[in-house]
This record gives sequence, structure tokens and C-alpha cells, in this order.
Amino acid sequence: MSRSTPTFSRWVAAPVAALATVGLLAACSTPLASAKDTVIFAIKEDPTCLDPQQTSLTTALNIGRQVVDSLTDQNADTGEIVPWLAESYETNDDLTAFTFTLRDNVTFSDETPLTAGVVKANFDALAALGSAASLASQYLAGYENTVVTDDTTLTVNFSTPNAQFLQGTSTMTLGLVAEASTAATAEDRCQSVIGSGPFVYDSYVPNDSVVIVKRDGYDWASTLREHTGEALVSTIEFPIITENGVRTGGLESGEFDIIQDLPYADEARFDTDDFTLYAKANTGVPNSLIPNTSRPIVSDDAVRHAMLLGTDREEIKTLTGAATAEPPTSALTSSTTGYVSQADAMEYDPEAAEKLLDDAGWVLGSDGIRAKDGVKLSVSVTAFYAQDVLETVQMQLKKIGIDLQLNMVTAGDFFGVIASGDYDFLGAALTRTDPDALRVLFSQAASSHWAIVDNAELEGVLTEQAKTADPDARASLVEQAQELIIDNAYLIPTLETTQLHASVANVGGVTFDSASRIVLYDVRIAE
Amino acid sequence: MAPSPRDRLGTVVRYLGPKLVQFAFVIWATYTVTFLLIHFLPGDPVLAALSLKGGDATTTDPAELAALRAQYGLDGSLWQQYIGHFLSALRGDLGVSIATGQPVADMVARALPNTAAVAVLALVLGVVTAVVITFLAFVSPWRWLRQTLLQIPPLGVATPAFLSGLVLVSVFSFGLGWFPSSGSRNPLGVVLPAITLALPVGAIFFQVFSAAVLEAMAGPYVFTAVAKGLSTRTIFLRHVLRNSLLPSVTILGLLIGYLAGGTAVVETVFSRDGIGRITVDAVLARDTNVIQGVVIVVALVYSVVNLLVDLSYGVIDPRTRPALGGRRTGTGRAGSPQADSPQAGATSVDAARDKAVIES
Repeated sequence: MSRSTPTFSRWVAAPVAALATVGLLAACSTPLASAKDTVIFAIKEDPTCLDPQQTSLTTALNIGRQVVDSLTDQNADTGEIVPWLAESYETNDDLTAFTFTLRDNVTFSDETPLTAGVVKANFDALAALGSAASLASQYLAGYENTVVTDDTTLTVNFSTPNAQFLQGTSTMTLGLVAEASTAATAEDRCQSVIGSGPFVYDSYVPNDSVVIVKRDGYDWASTLREHTGEALVSTIEFPIITENGVRTGGLESGEFDIIQDLPYADEARFDTDDFTLYAKANTGVPNSLIPNTSRPIVSDDAVRHAMLLGTDREEIKTLTGAATAEPPTSALTSSTTGYVSQADAMEYDPEAAEKLLDDAGWVLGSDGIRAKDGVKLSVSVTAFYAQDVLETVQMQLKKIGIDLQLNMVTAGDFFGVIASGDYDFLGAALTRTDPDALRVLFSQAASSHWAIVDNAELEGVLTEQAKTADPDARASLVEQAQELIIDNAYLIPTLETTQLHASVANVGGVTFDSASRIVLYDVRIAE
Repeated sequence: MAPSPRDRLGTVVRYLGPKLVQFAFVIWATYTVTFLLIHFLPGDPVLAALSLKGGDATTTDPAELAALRAQYGLDGSLWQQYIGHFLSALRGDLGVSIATGQPVADMVARALPNTAAVAVLALVLGVVTAVVITFLAFVSPWRWLRQTLLQIPPLGVATPAFLSGLVLVSVFSFGLGWFPSSGSRNPLGVVLPAITLALPVGAIFFQVFSAAVLEAMAGPYVFTAVAKGLSTRTIFLRHVLRNSLLPSVTILGLLIGYLAGGTAVVETVFSRDGIGRITVDAVLARDTNVIQGVVIVVALVYSVVNLLVDLSYGVIDPRTRPALGGRRTGTGRAGSPQADSPQAGATSVDAARDKAVIES
């Protein structure tokens, strides 16, 4: 009797003990906490407008993300859409009706509850703002109305298929604000909005700083985050430091905990154990030369193909980009869902480029620039940022005999040039999370398209993918679009812009969302 | 025979009148020139304002842009915009910023105290340093020391504010941690920008002030005072200082006007809100209402300061006061004081000396 009992208890005791140990360990794992209560995050420019629904400025969106929540969330690595404020959702087959069921017990910071009526007020107010909220109006293209079925169920209806909408509901651009904010004027909303997020706007002194404070009682974080409940710090201050040298100096001296936009040239300096670097490529269409094929020289296919093969994207990345970035290999950046590499069609081959130009009749002149029938091979590119990228391209194209003239203008003049159509090439990127960015840029039916091209097949593919609900079918259409664009040299990609931020080593919990914007819900400072 | 009140009034009006007309003319002229410059600049104000908020999502659809233009009132004729805006500015309504949607008066009122705080501290630091160095040069018994001291302040003008500001931040903020590197939340944040601004401001003031002092030093009344046995400090404070005030006050007025316009470079380096920065942002955004509002306010400050400087001549130097009720003496000179003062000072000194000789 005394023999069997110990054996039996040993057989039972071991697993029980193991389970108990695991249980104890789980209980012993300390919940996430922050040693310091205030985080100082130096930003590089004045956000100008604090309403995340209206602004497209990355700085403003980075701040706005902490103050508003969204109906859905998107996994930054897989691109999968997961529930957030909407605990379930469904779409109809032709992407014209989206039904959401909201979760319970969500309140805004003015203690009003989140109901289907409030969501309807949000979308109606956005539709009324129109082009004053440019990015939101693109997500809501074709918006008809929102039908409220009961307190927690609503259906959003569109008159035309809207492929971007569901992904758009995961961004802060369609982040939800309280009813009081939807009723306010656009200018008042730019000063402050009331959201349901883990932080609340405390103060905004233009050209000086923005301060947000923790929302007490916050308990509806996305499942993609590291913890639940309230934020781990009570205040985040965003001083506006436009001087790069002062921002990096402040990080080094410890005055700032995190800084936005570390200049690429300083990357090596902060790549040490005392600092942490955060890098993520922007999604959407990479920084590129976007053509206006109605112009005389640009219409020549051989010229565009030669330009595509004559740009060394690896060199551009080394000279002007982040060390951790990849050179662009398609019409979409490598971090965008639906990206398919077109590297073979875009490989740097200056000899092939020169042969194309020779065959097309462009003869090398004595000044190093080609000419044909007395017309020099000289094209211009209009841009309002990334001058260093364009200067590198200019150097590279000179080697194959193309003269690229740079036309740097202000942002306002850039859009003026688009409106008037007075350009050979535009130099810019289009940062969007959804591959529908290709349609926004290339479809001649799109309201603010930048590329002027005439290709019925491409037009058809772009329109079709915007109407396709089935993810696989849509992915294959997006792949087709990328092939068409690169094969016809309708785009000359130059650089995948990378968001590069830096922090002191004891800061944790800073993550990127699927749009390469920052989420600070989990931010904490260790000892 | 005492001048009658009517004569007194007449003199005052004859004295003040031209100055008030000049005041109004400067403001009107500044507004008009700015209006013409802005409206003949290429570029569309509506697109510039939209692109601030919209980034790469800015709409370029012509129909939507036309609707927005009508909404912001940018579709009247040039003449209508000119008169309408001027009249509302006279009423105190400076319009609404296209880029931010804020009333322009609010934006200026928010930025002005920041600029003023730095400007006042910079002026105080600059003037005090200039006076101290001048005094030391004045009392120094060796010529080489005097020459050295006189050469130091011009360095303040030679060094660009951008460089001196960044060096100060590196050393005193990041290095020693005595002052914050940015922002206006911490009251100590005024110090480093003020020092950066005090360098050129103090240097310019010093040039004029020290020249005036050195000239006054050579005056015969100083010779008399030395002969009477007064200490160097008393001579400096009681005789030399007051005689060198005329040109110094003039340059002070000009410097206040310059500082009222804000210095965008210092405000950018130290990440402070201020008139300079909102002006630069407004120009880049083609925000016509803000540009005109800022220009009117700065012109107002500048004109008021210059009016006060003109009026202060009478207080500082009795020889420039018009004899009330009769002969006009010295009123003409106050109109262009900076160019004339040294010579005017010299002739007045001679006249005063003659008077002193006669009366003693």
C-alpha cells in the first residue's frame, strides 16, 4: 500500500506541479507599466489641423491616431482586417453596402456612448465636408447614406463599388469622433476633437507643442495591441522642433524621449545600444516620376522605357534613402498589400537604355544630350520635396544622354500644376494603405489623378479591381495593373520612402500601424 | 509776453500734424504695396491652403476648387478685395486665415507676446551690454584697450543668427542643460533666443551709441567738466550720456520696428511661436489675409514707435523743442534725425557753449 501510493502520487504530482508552476509564473508575470509618467515626443512640424478626419499630414495623423479609435484595425504584417470598435462586419458582393455591428460600452471622452447614430453622424459630416477633408472624401467616394438599424447596427451604402472603404475604416482618417465634434465647424474641429481613444487632447499651442493626456476608464483597445485597459503613461507632450539638429541633439542629451523623422544622414549615429530605431516603408505608390504622356517627348515609349532602365534605384537608395530600406521594385511599395515584384522589368541596365534611345533615333549630341530632328531630349520634373532624390536621378539620366530639368515649387503650386496639366513629369509618392492607390493615381476617371496616360486595358483593370470584393480575384487584378504600368513605363519609381524615428533605449511599445503611422497606446519607459 | 493758448495749440498742431499724416501714410502705403505684391505673385491661394492640410490627397478637381474659392471670398475683383479688406481692417477685423481657419487677429495676438518677450529681453541685454562696453572704452586709460573694446561688438553682426543660435543650444542646452532648447512652456526658454538676438541688435546699437559718445567726449563742455574736477563716471552719466541720446534713441526706434517684425530664423531654431514664423508660413501658403494682417500690425507698431521717438526729441534735448507760441526753432531737424544729429549736435554744442560763456 505504501508502495503504490508514492508511485501514483508521483505520476499525478508531477503534472499537477507543472501546471501549478505555470499558473504561478503566469500570475507572477508583471503587467506592463511605465517608470516615467510623461513621454516627450519631438515632432518635426506643426500639425496645423488636429482633426484626423480632415488632415493628411503624417505628423497630425501620428498624433490623431492616439485620440480616436476606428471601426476596424489592420494587422501591419499580414494586412488582415480585424474587428475593433465594430465587433463584426460584412460586405455585400459588389462592395456597395457595408454592415457593422458595434461593440458595447464604448464611450467618448465627453462620456457620450458610441452608438450607430454617432457613426452615421460621423460619415454624414465627413461627406458634407467634401474636399476640405480630401483623404476621407476619397475613402468615401460614392457615399450615399448610412442606415441605422438599431443602436449597435448600421449599414453604409455607396452608389458605386468602393474597394478602399473597409481598409479605410481601420485608419484614423475614418476614426470616430463624438457627436458634438461632428456638429462643430471644420475650423473648430481642427483645434480639437473628442474621440474615444486612449488619450485626449489637452492643449495645442501652434508652432510650439501639442499635449495629450490619458483617458481614464479606457478599455476597448484593439486586439493587435500588447495590453488592455488604460494607457501606461499619463501624458505625452509633442514639442514642435523643426530644426533637425535641435531634434537629434535633444535626443542625444535626453531632453526628448522619442523623435520623429530622424534624418537618414544621422542614422548611423544613433544605431547604437543607447537608442532604438524604428523604420517602416510607407505604403502605396513609391516616390516616382509620374508622366504626362500627352506631352511631346514624354509620349515617346522609348524615352520612358530608357528612363526606367537608366535609373539605378540601388544608388538612389544608398545616397538618399534609409539604410534599412529596399529600392522600389514595382508600382507599389514592398509593404503594401497586393505588391508583386516587377524587378526583372525594372532592372538597372544603362546599355539597354542607350540602345533603346539609339534605335528610336535619339542621337547623342556634342554636349552629352541626345537630340532628334533638332529637338533635344530634355524633360522637366515638378516636385515640392525630395530634391536630393531628383538630383540623383538627374545625374544618372545625364549618363545616358537625357537632360532632366528640376522644377521645385511649393506644395500649393504643385497642385496648381496638376490642376492645369502643365508638366512633363511629377516627382512625388502617394502614401495609401490600399492598392487602390494605383487607381487614384492612374485612372483617368479618378477625380484628382496625377498621371496622364491613355491605355484602355489599364483603365479597365483599375476600374475592375475597385469593384471586386473577392480578395484573391482583386489581388490578381492588382498584379495585372502593376505589370501593365511597369511594362509600359507609365511610372519610373525612384525611392521607397521610409518613416524613420528614434528613441532612447529604455522606451518600449512604439509600433507602426498598417499605414506606417505610429501607435503610442503601449508606450512605456523602463527604468 | 506769454503766448496765448491759441498760439500754443497752433504750434502743437503744426508740430504734430505732419507727423500724424506721415504715420497714416506709412501704414496705408505698406498695406497697398503688400496687397499688390501678394496678388501679383503666381500661385493659387486656395490650392496652397488646401495642400497644407491635404498633403498628397489635395483635390485638383476644377469644380470643387471653384466652390472653395467662392466660399473663401477670393472671387471678387481686385479693387473690391482691396477696398473691402482695408475698410474692415480699419474697423479692427483682420479677416480669417485661409490656411488655418483662425481669425487673423487671434493668430497675431497669440504670436505677438512671444515675439515681444524675446524682443524686450534682447533689447535690454543688447543695450545694457553696449552701454557697459562703451563706458569701459570711455574710461579706459589705454588707447589699445579702448580700440579693442570698440571692435568686439561688431562680431555680433558678423555672426549669422542661425549659427550663434545653434551653438548656444548645443553648449547651454544639450551640453550643460541650463536652459531648455525649445518652446515657450518653460519661462527660461526666453533666455537663449534673447541672447542670440541681442548679438546683432546690441552690435548695431553699440555702433551708433559709441560713435555718439566718442563725439560727445570730444566736446568742450567735457573739457570744462574735467577742468572742474568731476569724476569720469559723473561726466559720463551726467554730460556725455544725455548728449549722445538723440541718435541712440533713433536707432532704438528702428531696432524695435525690426524686432516687431519677428525674426523667423531665431524662432525656427528655438522652435518658438512668433510673428516671424507665422509670416513665413503665411507667405509659403499664400495666405493673403494673414500676410496683410501681420504687415498692418507691424507697420502700426513701427509707426507708433517712430512717432514716440520723434516726440521724445523734445524731451531729451530742449534745443529741439519749438518755442511755444512763436518762432519755430529746430522743428525741421527732427524729421531726419539720424543723418543730421551729429552735425546738429555739434552746432547745438557750440551754441550751448557760447550761451554758457555768455551767461557765466
